Amino acid sequence: MQWVGVVCATIWIVGATAFLTLAGILVFPFLFLALCLAKRWSTVRCTTFLVWVYGRFWLALTWPFTRFERRGLDSAQFDTPSILVLNHLSFFDSFLLGALPDFAATFALRSWPFRMPWFRPFMNLAHYVDMESLAWDEIEIRARECFADGRHLMIFPEGHRSRDGRMGRFHSGAFKLACTLGVPVIPLCIRGTDKLLPPGRFWLAPAKVSLTFLEPILPTAFSGELAHAELRRVVKERILEAYRKDE
Amino acid sequence: MDDATVVKTINESLATEFEIDLERMVPEAHLIEDLEFDSLDFVDMVVVLQKAFGVKLRNEPKVREIRLLGDLHKLILEKKRELEQQQSES
Repeated sequence: MQWVGVVCATIWIVGATAFLTLAGILVFPFLFLALCLAKRWSTVRCTTFLVWVYGRFWLALTWPFTRFERRGLDSAQFDTPSILVLNHLSFFDSFLLGALPDFAATFALRSWPFRMPWFRPFMNLAHYVDMESLAWDEIEIRARECFADGRHLMIFPEGHRSRDGRMGRFHSGAFKLACTLGVPVIPLCIRGTDKLLPPGRFWLAPAKVSLTFLEPILPTAFSGELAHAELRRVVKERILEAYRKDE
Repeated sequence: MDDATVVKTINESLATEFEIDLERMVPEAHLIEDLEFDSLDFVDMVVVLQKAFGVKLRNEPKVREIRLLGDLHKLILEKKRELEQQQSES
């Protein structure tokens, strides 16, 4: 009878994601305009808010097949604009943006998501950072703008989702930014989205998904030319530790 | 330190620094395409190798021409010989 759950989960989650995305694209211009006029927010803030609402709706709509849990959150620590570093297991990881307590978060990603025409306009409006195509100076400027505006920067340092369930290599970008700009890193551990949609498979399976917020790490604790590398190692260890705790 | 030890040290230093399996550290490995180096990694690579061998690479134009791990092996061996020669002359 397990296949019944798999078929139902696939139809429900794919259907809900497609419906939500299409509906979101259609209503976005009206909501965006209404928000800009009513709240007098910047276009970036209005877009990040609507993308966050989209993520929250996705979490609610997929609830029958994804039991979601948020752990370890200390709202006070989340008040300071930080770099949110997440492990990457599945295509659905980015939807967990909706699980953040605050909507003010901007993704820094590789280039390929910017090539998806149905997402690109929103990514540009929300000032998402293309970590692969932009020059490092430009990345730094965009990150500075992001923190000055009170937003967090969300980064998957592996660059792509894990193909074999093992946590991949963490690239240095997020940690170099943290050290250069002096902002804390908040490690976030994702579990379960790989069970929902394992790499290379089309069928989805019901899964328990969790997002664990770990203690922020200050870059000032590290020094020297390779401070960012040391920070990277510590952050990865913390995420790995949290991931293994649940095994 | 003989050439084989130099190559081994390069491979081990980079494998540790960039979390790469040592089996993948072969001379034919392309640093960007096979070992997934990005622009920041090249900067870190210079720092790591300078520390490991005491050679100066920061303003070395040949670093920009490196494509394969084997190219890097050759450059470090060459720089190391230059350093040893300078030390023996002084």
